[in-house]
Amino acid sequence: MDADKDNANPTIINPSDLPSRPPAYPSLADPFSSAEASSASSESDDEERREEIDEQEVYDLISTISDPEHPLSLGSLGVAKLDDISIQRPTSPRSRISTVTVLLTPTTSACSLTTVIGLGVKVRLLQALPPRFRVDVRIKEGTSNTADEVNKQLGDKERVAAAMENRNLINVVNTMLATCE
Amino acid sequence: MLRQDCSNLLSAEFPAAIHNYRRPQKIDKKFVGESVLATGSFDASAGIWRRWEEGGGKGKPAAEIDFTGGLAGGDAEAEEEEDEEWRFAVILDGHDSEIKSLAFSPTSPLLGTCSRDKSVWIWEELEDDNFETVAVLQDHEGDVKCVAWHPGEELLASASYDDNVRLWREDVDDWACCALLTGHKGTVWWVEFEGADRIGMLGTSDEVSEEQKAVLELREKAGPRLLSCSDDHTIRVWRRIPKERREMPTGQGSLPSIWKNNNFEEQWIEEARLPQVHERPVYALNWSKKTGRVASTGSDGKIVVYEERWKSGATDKKEPNGDVTMEDGTPTTVAVTEPIPTSAKDGSGTLTEWVAVAEVENAHDVFEVNHVCWATRADKGKRFDDEEVLISTGDDGEVKVWTFDT
Repeated sequence: MDADKDNANPTIINPSDLPSRPPAYPSLADPFSSAEASSASSESDDEERREEIDEQEVYDLISTISDPEHPLSLGSLGVAKLDDISIQRPTSPRSRISTVTVLLTPTTSACSLTTVIGLGVKVRLLQALPPRFRVDVRIKEGTSNTADEVNKQLGDKERVAAAMENRNLINVVNTMLATCE
Repeated sequence: MLRQDCSNLLSAEFPAAIHNYRRPQKIDKKFVGESVLATGSFDASAGIWRRWEEGGGKGKPAAEIDFTGGLAGGDAEAEEEEDEEWRFAVILDGHDSEIKSLAFSPTSPLLGTCSRDKSVWIWEELEDDNFETVAVLQDHEGDVKCVAWHPGEELLASASYDDNVRLWREDVDDWACCALLTGHKGTVWWVEFEGADRIGMLGTSDEVSEEQKAVLELREKAGPRLLSCSDDHTIRVWRRIPKERREMPTGQGSLPSIWKNNNFEEQWIEEARLPQVHERPVYALNWSKKTGRVASTGSDGKIVVYEERWKSGATDKKEPNGDVTMEDGTPTTVAVTEPIPTSAKDGSGTLTEWVAVAEVENAHDVFEVNHVCWATRADKGKRFDDEEVLISTGDDGEVKVWTFDT
């Protein structure tokens, strides 16, 4: 059965070696701050917090996606890597649009499921991130011989929308995303 | 400056086609005594819809139908009419996957459609509701995103996922590709021809120099130009090389043309690029038939308006292109040769410049903007005859109207 897979023996990363956010500082409410002050600043705090979506958070959103071939996560297979996620903040003070760029590393350069994995990551981020984020999912250069083709498909909103009308693809993607919280 | 005009939203919600489970992706209108609407659907079919117009005999253009139920100050009689419904007429089946764009020819009873199935179809309306497939054009190597007709000729342009623009014409009895426009580095999302009434004309052209006059004449001869916008963030202007200018002395470097019909093939060059304001794919543009201004929009949520102007100081230029004066004073007859242009170094593009004159960011909140077009302003707030507003649609599901101030 494993013979049907493009990569029957992928390298698996030990879960304890996967990147995660260091434990936050004790976040118990400051006993000296008054309740009024905190409520007055809460709105701007919210605004600030919304901007605080960082690479680690994007990583957390996609690393738990299951590989369509193996019962393993994209994080443990090294398909999604923290270092290959970048966020470009708005380019002008007036613009509110940020761009998330995710570079994926397929387990083998001939992985036929590369497009599906990319689609799963794209759909996950489109669903999970606020609409002010543009999501660019690409295959890391030199890791797949179909990278250009896959990149173009994943970059075309009409193609992605059409793919998500295809029942087979929807089922595969839903299975992949089922392991996300 | 662009300002959103909130008071008069002309929201033209056309009936969702009964055979669809999807909102039509692109609509196009023409007026022939009755209004005809063509819709291209996600289910690979095109629909033809008809509606008799109140006072259609007066030639009231379809674009001026009052969709606001009189709020915009249109005549109140219209809303009493019960026959105002769009009547479904016929389905055009043939494409294999979703139709991306369609367009009625302004000069003949032809309809062009294009699809994700990589093909462009041309349909001819023989009589009412009887459409015949005239051509299935399959030269594109990717989804065909947009089709547009030349305003005065039976010439169709198509834009594709294969990064190219193709032009199609009828050659004797068969439709075929007569020009391939390459250069874009990404999907071409939109193509559109210049209006026929003001080819190459610039906003203010009261007094033109001889040189500028030559440019205008060249443009007149070449005919309406073509605009394309792409995933590569650029917007490009293309111009045809008029036929007789291509005649070369026999045997001098001209390629053997046994298998090519020279009268059929056309040569188009990239004449200019609009200032690159967009930071993400440019999805749509519209070239005003009235003012020559261009509006564009795309993934970055911006709407940008551009104007073409004479370069200042261009009139002082000492060396006109392609004109040589010999030292002995003998007038040479170098008949304004266009040196097989690979780029637009032939006057038409170099004497003028495109300038971005207005820009709106976050036009539809943080969402992508998919479409923008100029429309004649018809509401009470109209400030002058022929004033145009911009209408945009975004991924937020809204239709917005913008006024433009110079």
